[in-house]
Parts: sequence; structure tokens; C-alpha cells
Amino acid sequence: MKQILSTKYLPFISIFSLIALIPLVISKDQYAMVLVTTVLLYAVLASAWNIIGGMAGQLDLGAGAYIGLGAFTTGTLLTRWNITPWIGMFIGGFVSVSFAILIGLPLFRFKIKELWYALTSSALVEVLRIVFLMWDEVGGPTEKYLPGGGDNALYSLRFSTYIPYFYIILIFLVIVIYLNHRIRNSKLGFSLLALGEDEDAAEVLGVDARGNKLKALMIYSFIVGTVGGLYACLYGFLHPSFFSTEISTEVVILGIVGGMGITYGPFLAAIFLVSFREYLRAALGGELAGLYLAVYAVVLIVVALFQPRGIAPLFRRLFEKVIRSLGGREHESSAKASS
Amino acid sequence: MLDMTVQSIITGLMMGVIYALITLGISIVFGVLNVVNFAHGDFVMFSMYLSYMIGTALVWDAVQTPLITIPVLFIFGFIVYYLIIDRTLRQMYVVQLAVTVGLQIFMRSMALIIWKAQPRALQYSIIQGNIQIGPYTILTSRLVAAIISLIFIAGIAWFLNKSWAGSAMRAASDDLDMASLVGVNYRRTYALTFAIGSALTAVAGGLLMSFQQTDPVGGIRFGFLSWCVLALAGLGSIPGLIISGMIVGVAETVTITFFDPRSRLLVIYGIFILVLWFKPRGLFGRK
Repeated sequence: MKQILSTKYLPFISIFSLIALIPLVISKDQYAMVLVTTVLLYAVLASAWNIIGGMAGQLDLGAGAYIGLGAFTTGTLLTRWNITPWIGMFIGGFVSVSFAILIGLPLFRFKIKELWYALTSSALVEVLRIVFLMWDEVGGPTEKYLPGGGDNALYSLRFSTYIPYFYIILIFLVIVIYLNHRIRNSKLGFSLLALGEDEDAAEVLGVDARGNKLKALMIYSFIVGTVGGLYACLYGFLHPSFFSTEISTEVVILGIVGGMGITYGPFLAAIFLVSFREYLRAALGGELAGLYLAVYAVVLIVVALFQPRGIAPLFRRLFEKVIRSLGGREHESSAKASS
Repeated sequence: MLDMTVQSIITGLMMGVIYALITLGISIVFGVLNVVNFAHGDFVMFSMYLSYMIGTALVWDAVQTPLITIPVLFIFGFIVYYLIIDRTLRQMYVVQLAVTVGLQIFMRSMALIIWKAQPRALQYSIIQGNIQIGPYTILTSRLVAAIISLIFIAGIAWFLNKSWAGSAMRAASDDLDMASLVGVNYRRTYALTFAIGSALTAVAGGLLMSFQQTDPVGGIRFGFLSWCVLALAGLGSIPGLIISGMIVGVAETVTITFFDPRSRLLVIYGIFILVLWFKPRGLFGRK
């Protein structure tokens, strides 16, 4: 407790306390609530991606697959056997992990190029979408609505407002960012960073490429699968379109634009890009539905070409400048904590 | 039953040659630049739309459209190389891949904006009709497409083996430093490779347009198909590429004939995973 309250975690705690206060200000405005919840949701996904993509250097394009698996597991458990999503979403997380292992095990062998993992994970999304489209008992081309709401809203995790979801996702985000921070400063994190930089060199120095990457993949797919369960409850129905290539690529874009391997980078990117996307969607309407993705793609290419470390270092420099101009010694502690 | 099997194998073999042509583009780019263009399938989709536009505007037949689309895609490949790919060569591998993913999303969403979501097809083709051999039907359009693909594949093989630029490409693929020492300009070689890879999709796009329709998300399928063929073939063997294309084509048509047409991607994915698991260098891989 003493350690947590020390200055090291002070910025972390204060930022999330401030975020927790947001619903008090805007709870009347339904649209704003949807927006902030979406931002947090993507921040969770992108921060989880940071573990496999940012640190281990594996371009995972399978977020949509894990979301869909988590959503369908949770939703089916609820509709068939009336198992509460509070448990179901973690089962969904385990289902996602098992699929992740299935593709991770053969593809994380030594001397197999990263490329094949990227291709396999991106294809997994499309393949699972087709499987669930054809599997009528569970999926099928029509939406399957989840029961619940009303009196047993808490049991079936189906609330009528976004406020409870906001707090649940916020808790997820705190956990994921804390996890990121811990992994970053652990043996696993250093091994992953080394593998991401130069796999051959790391392997020569005795870093187990396959084991470490699998660990990272399992953590990532578990988080995304669990969030998938929440996703199903948030939307209130199940549909094979949850296996979405768009979500998968958006998660990657947020992870890379934010800054690979930087704990708070994806969160920062989510704040900017997701708000921007929602703004575009509101401003342009359905007419140019695909435009936001084109803009995202341009942002990704530009950042990857000219700022491959992501936007987070820019913000850090700005932040330090502001602190320095204010004077004082907070500078040191905040710089340390934010890395 | 037997007739249906043989019939679907015949169709699959012919489709397989077109898939081999599409994959040849990825294969030479991957072999020489060591970069995989994630957007390759979307290049095919893009050139199919170009063929469609030229076909409707000039009232040309689909098989004639490559006369215009090949130069267009060749120049497009050059531009993409110098604008994007060239700058990523010294960066982390994730970034290299991510940039082509960005290109893929960009092309797909632009196609959605420009051509909307409806599938487009050209009205007629001079190579329609079919040849009857006993109980089996050979669609002329597929046969012509397969033959033209073979000619282009053979042309590329000749180019790689006999011309100076082709030798430079192979040299850069084998040992870049050594090739640079003996006077190969690697940037020009890379740009040429990328442009040829891109131009090959124009040929494939025109041929596919003679019997298929195109839609903005069609690129996913072609990308996927060509990765599978690439995984199966490995790098460095052009006959291997054709055989692998045929294996994938036959697997696809047999699935369509005997199971659900929607499940054809599943079979291809199955092959893909099995190959990566048991033969990660492909059946015919040189390196």
C-alpha cells in the first residue's frame, strides 16, 4: 500500500481518478458517454496489443478474432445455460487463449519469419467470421439478441445506460496499463523487447523466443477475449460481424501510432484517433462511411514513416517542457513514472 | 460423382494458374525486397476496378484492358515504392509490415468510397462459351485466362534468368551487399521489382474481370489466396509456384462443388496452417 501511494504512481492514480469523474460531468449527454466509453474500450484493446505487438514485435492482426470468440462464448453461455457474463467473459478469455495458442505454437518457432504470424492472425478473423456465419446454432447471419436487462441487469450485465460499462471498462484499462507497466519492467518484458529488436541476437543470448512470445500472446488474447464478452453485453446481441477486420487493424493502428512498447502510448492514441473517428462519423454521416479508415491508414503510414517511435515521445517532450517552465522538482518524479 | 470431381479438378487447375500469376507478384517482391506487400490482394481488386472502368468507358473487352492497366499499375507500383516502401527498408520489421497494412486499408476504403459496396461486372466477353470434351465442359474464358497467365509467368521466368535487370534482381535477392559491390543499384532494382509485382496484378485483374465480378472487399480473398500459394510454394521456384497455385485452385473448386461455397476460405486456411506447421519453407522452397 505504501509503495502504491508513493510518488512513483501518483500521476497514474491522479489521471485515472480524473477519468473516473468524467461521467459525473457528462452523464446527461448520452452521445458523450458513448464516445468516452468507446475511447476507453479501444484503449484497453490497444494497450493489450502493446504487449504482443509493441514489445514482442509481432504484428498481430487478430484482435477481431479474439473479440468475436469472447463475445460468442459469453453470449452463448448466457442464452443457453444462463451463466452470468461476469463468469462467461473470463471463459471467453480462455477460449480466445486456446485459439491463440493454436496459431502461436507453430508460428513462433525459431527461424519462421514474423510475417507468417501476421498473415495467419489476420486470416483467422476472416475464417472465424465465416465459421460463425455457417454455424447456425450459435451464430448465423441474423443477430441473436441477449436476454436480460431490467431487474436482473447486474446478473446479465445488460445495463440501460453506458455509465456502468464505463466504469467496468475503466477498471479493465487500469489493470491492463498496470500490467503493461509491470511487464515492461520484468524479465518477460526485457526478453520481449530484445526479441522485438533482433530475434537472432536475443536467441543467441539465451532468450527463449517461443516461450516468451507465447506468454505475451496468451496475456494479450485473454484480455481481448474478456473484453469481447463485455462487448457482446454492451451491444446486446451477437453477430458474426464481431469478427471484424476493421477492429483488428484499428487496434494495430492505435498501438503503432501511440508508440510501440510505451505503456501509455496506445491510450494516448485512442484518445485522439477514436474521438477523431467519431467526430468524422458524426460530421459526414453514413455517406462516407469508409472515410475514417482511409484517414486512419494515412495517419498510420505517416507516423510509421516519419515518427516510428509513435506520438507518445512527442507528448512526453511537451509535458516535460511544460513542467520545466513551471519550475519545481516534480519534473523528475513524473518523468520516471511516465516511462 | 466421378464426372463432377474431374470437372471441378479441371476448373480448379485453370484457376490455379491465375492464382500462380497473382502470387508471382508477391513472390518476387518478397524474394528480392524481403518485404511482403499486405496490400497485394487489394492491388488485384484495384486493377479489376480499373479494368471495369476502362471496359465500360471504351467498350473494350476485359481481356484487352490490361493494355492500359499494365502501364498504370506499373507506374503505380513505382510511386508506391518510392513514396512508402523505400523509406521503411531500414526500419523494424513490424513497421514495414504495418505500412503495407496501412496501404491495404487505404485502398480498400477508397474503393468503398469511389465505387460503393455494389459488386461490378463487365457485361460481356469475347471469350465466352465453352468447349465440350466428352462429359466435361471447359469454359473458354478460364482456358484463355490460364493460357495468358502461363505466357506471362514464362515471360517473367525468362526475364529473371536471361535479362540483365532480372539477374540484378536475383543477385539482390541472394546477397544484397555483394550485388551492390558489383554495381547493382539496389534502389532501382527494388523499385523495378515492386513495379513488376504490381503490373502482374493488372494482368490478373483483366483476366479475372472476363468471368468474375469485383467488390471492394474482394482484395481480402485474393490476398489470402496468394499467401496460401506462396506458403505452399516457398521462394525461388516458378514451376513450384504453378503447381502450388493448382493445388489451391483444385482445393477451392472441389470445396465449392461438394461442400458449401462459403467454406472455400476455410479449406485454404487449413492448407495454409498445415503447410506452416509441417513445411514452413514450402514444398519447393529454395531458401
